[in-house]
Amino acid sequence: MPISNENIIVADDLTISYDLHRERKKLIALQDINLEIKKGEFVVLVGPSGCGKTSFINAVSGLIPKSGGSVKVRGEEVTAPGPDRAMVFQDYALLPWRTVESNIRLPYELQNLGISEEEKKQRVKNCLELVDLAGFEKSFPYELSGGMKQRVGIARALATNPDILLADEPFAAIDAMTREAMQAEMERIVMETGQTCVFITHSIDEAILLGDRVVVISYRPGKIKEIVNIDFPRPRMNNSEVKISKTYAELRDHIWNLVKDEAMQTTRGE
Amino acid sequence: MAKATEQIQYETDDPNRIQDVGWTFKEVWRRTRGFVVTSVNLIIFFILWEIVTTYGNINSLFLPKASAMFQELWVGMTTRAPEGAVFSGSILDHFLHSFTNLMTGLAIAMAIGIPGGLLMGGNKYVESILSPYVWALASLPRIALVPLFILFLGFTTTMQVTIIVISAVFPIVINAWAGVKTTEKSLLAAAKVFGANRVQLYYKVVLPYTLPFIISGIQQGIGRGLIGVVIAELFGGSNGLGYLIQRSADTFNTAMTFAVLLLLIVMSLSLINFTRWLEAKVAPWRNVNHL
Repeated sequence: MPISNENIIVADDLTISYDLHRERKKLIALQDINLEIKKGEFVVLVGPSGCGKTSFINAVSGLIPKSGGSVKVRGEEVTAPGPDRAMVFQDYALLPWRTVESNIRLPYELQNLGISEEEKKQRVKNCLELVDLAGFEKSFPYELSGGMKQRVGIARALATNPDILLADEPFAAIDAMTREAMQAEMERIVMETGQTCVFITHSIDEAILLGDRVVVISYRPGKIKEIVNIDFPRPRMNNSEVKISKTYAELRDHIWNLVKDEAMQTTRGE
Repeated sequence: MAKATEQIQYETDDPNRIQDVGWTFKEVWRRTRGFVVTSVNLIIFFILWEIVTTYGNINSLFLPKASAMFQELWVGMTTRAPEGAVFSGSILDHFLHSFTNLMTGLAIAMAIGIPGGLLMGGNKYVESILSPYVWALASLPRIALVPLFILFLGFTTTMQVTIIVISAVFPIVINAWAGVKTTEKSLLAAAKVFGANRVQLYYKVVLPYTLPFIISGIQQGIGRGLIGVVIAELFGGSNGLGYLIQRSADTFNTAMTFAVLLLLIVMSLSLINFTRWLEAKVAPWRNVNHL
């Protein structure tokens, strides 16, 4: 799916801070973020733990208020969540008392999208097929493996046919082998649906394999350190040329050098 | 969790992956051993009791024969007091009185406790206003209030039910309150992202999440309520199992006393097992291993 020239998400001097009530202080999580994301683009945010990547995604989704600057989706200031933006969570966030199908239908129950019951049924079916879970409609989340749970999470995010898919370390809790398979699925799904995707990860490999651009965020307060363009043709996942290419190694090394010092800092707790 | 996953047969699996092993002695034993062991255990216990009381030099005033206790229980549960009797010696009459009181008390405790706890968990103003009273009354030994309720309400059924309510309501309130408070943040975030308003957040996420907590509150409430039943009847009243315990002990009918105690144990265990079953039914994902 080609990337259009139209900006869909625009962050302008976006600042997000949290109140630390006990210390009577304010912690700045993200400072002066300027980022323009084009329609159909796959943007990956990388950075050390606690650098404010999640805050950015939460601000785009409308879950948390901003303390300065603005973030606009299709030219409109974000004030609350909307059906045009869906999210995939690190811990899946599936309602354990609902079946797979019922979990995917949740967005339909919570908001009126003005679509018929027939259409809903068809969409649920399509979503399940897209994530390879046909036949598991009546299973409960606790009966599924981690990878399957996250597929349900992705299917639920796709149910409203959103323009923007926000993914907060979706594969962090999934084992390495399943993870590679899930990355391939993710690339395929986003290519098929033509969605704009903002994806957070700690894995540099994941960032290079999935992203059109990789945004490296610095540590405390989170600022954009560098934006790296990735130009490999898609699909990259089943293309063994990509991972063994010289460019790949160089990109990997470059991004690692950008995050290295700060990653070291977080491990020392400074 | 593993159990359910193992049963899933993928299309790509070898069709022989899950094989039929049929019934083996081991499998039958595995399923029935809990019941068999408990039954044998209890039978041996009562037989030993019978032997010790028959051949040991034990005053039946202190420890009656097990058979005498069962006989008393059988007679007491199968006869009713005649019409117009001043005092009933039938266990069934007193049991029905106590059981009705307990159920009424629990129903009132739930009607107050569930909405109360949910409100306290959901609204920080309600929480800060009510929590000192809840903690004060929850930490006060409820038996200390009995003389006061006798003063207010006299030796009436209302007094007995009030004591049951005050005994059972606090575990229910506190559990519902804690359930709301511990609702997983990511579930709330997910519901918000997909468009939930405040009412839907409660109805679709917080309430189902809290349901198992409420049930375990009710389970604790049953235990406390039973204490309330017996205390209320011991102190004031002329019917109920608590009264019967006192009456039979006063008249040196120890077999009757033991029969009523056994009935109380059976009643309590049945109710608690019912709530456990209910808990497993409404929240299979919690997969709690009970003691």
